[in-house]
Amino acid sequence: MTSAIIIAAGALALMAGPIGCFVVWRRMAYFGDGLAHSALLGVALGMIAGAGHQSGILFVAILFALGMIGLRGQNLLANDTLLGILAHATLAVGLVSMSLMGMEEIDMHDFLLGDLAAITMNGALLLALAAAVTIAVLMKLWPGLVLMTTSEELAFAEGISVRRHEFMLILLMSLLVATSIQIVGVLLITSLLIIPASTARLFANSPEKMAIFGIIAAALSLFGGILVAQNLAIEAGPTIVTLSVVLFLLALIVQPVLQRLGQQA
Amino acid sequence: MTQEQMPSPLISARNIWLAKAQGWILENVSLDIAADDFVTLVGPNGAGKSVLLRTLLQLQQPTRGTVQHANGLRIGYVPEKIAIGSAMPLDVERFLRLNSKISAPQYTELVGETGIDHLLSRPLAALSGGELQRVLLARALACDPQLLILDEPAQNLDVNGQLHLYKLIEQLYEKRKMAVLMVSHDLHLVMSSTRKVVCLYHHICCSGAPENVARDPEFISLFGDDMARLMAVYPHSHEHDHEHHHDYDHEEPQA
Repeated sequence: MTSAIIIAAGALALMAGPIGCFVVWRRMAYFGDGLAHSALLGVALGMIAGAGHQSGILFVAILFALGMIGLRGQNLLANDTLLGILAHATLAVGLVSMSLMGMEEIDMHDFLLGDLAAITMNGALLLALAAAVTIAVLMKLWPGLVLMTTSEELAFAEGISVRRHEFMLILLMSLLVATSIQIVGVLLITSLLIIPASTARLFANSPEKMAIFGIIAAALSLFGGILVAQNLAIEAGPTIVTLSVVLFLLALIVQPVLQRLGQQA
Repeated sequence: MTQEQMPSPLISARNIWLAKAQGWILENVSLDIAADDFVTLVGPNGAGKSVLLRTLLQLQQPTRGTVQHANGLRIGYVPEKIAIGSAMPLDVERFLRLNSKISAPQYTELVGETGIDHLLSRPLAALSGGELQRVLLARALACDPQLLILDEPAQNLDVNGQLHLYKLIEQLYEKRKMAVLMVSHDLHLVMSSTRKVVCLYHHICCSGAPENVARDPEFISLFGDDMARLMAVYPHSHEHDHEHHHDYDHEEPQA
């Protein structure tokens, strides 16, 4: 494990834990999937513009989020239908663009499933910067975000700008997707958001604890998965997700036992 | 019902029109809420009650017309429901303190007022309907409101729970000297505390003291004779000398 990989995985865990909580609380799993799918179009656009794939992904992800917020007001089609249209449109157009540009299959494969070897120290430091920004923004907006998750009307009536908070949350998700695609890949990024947060839910009795336990569960999955993948010379992305599921299943078994012990004590 | 020397109202809505896909949901609604008002908003389903409440709260922009709040108006709002799922571990105490700068004595006072001391360590998602309403009420009171706005607070409660909640709201109204604006279907239960009833069916059909509204032909055509009679069973507590015509069946079991 190089120091670049250690920094990158640590930063990713710091972001995935708390943001994953909001994905679970606000039922945004499908939105996260859609956002990840749009990343391929971002990669293609970033290459065309010569701006690098991260800025391309971030750009498309923000457009995706704005498009979703804009379309949500109409009441002809359900939100998940709209989300599906946007997600698959960006995925398909992204894949077509990548083919047209002659990107070899192996490149696409890396973006879909993640490629650890591609992480440079610069990429890792970018992730660390993204994690620092994410944590700072979340700490500042935390009470408002938690309140609006229980009731948007209540939050609005108490003077919280719900739209701005929601947009910031989506922006942080976009940032996460844009910076982490290299490690876990488009197809598995949502699982890194929802599975550690779900594991954390089993042990947490406050929103803050759930976010912190989520960071721990994500870190265990990331570091463990990378180690296993390197030792067995297999794909890192799917290994990380597999390990996170194993942790979740273990938590399902352990949690009732702990609770019973706690009641006896 | 406004007198000429009255101080300026807490909320003043003028000629509110609000468009929805199927036409106007609110048609030329004007309404003032004064500092000591207890207004109950009634009307059939789909009449625009919640929309009017949201417009008065400035959660929603009217298509035409204006809503003005008094300077620095503090509103405590009890929404119809909250979206808390069991996915978020949030206990009552944490919920009450979320995003609020409430002092320790204030906190103790409102926990006592709403009778939720025994609920503080319970998860929000595990509360019964009546318990949740009390907690939401406590949260609304945390800002020491001049105006308390409630959207069908007793909707999912049994009759006993409804009675308790309305009684609590009336006690808080008397004690805290705040104004109350409430959407409620249970007009017969809030009769004793309500000073003014506003009957809405896209436009304001009639408004005034409960016993007068109950006699209004438009009210009777919307709610039927039964509701009008039911209202007469529970006369306004501050007008005990008011003459009532008891020409209905007293034996009918109610509430």
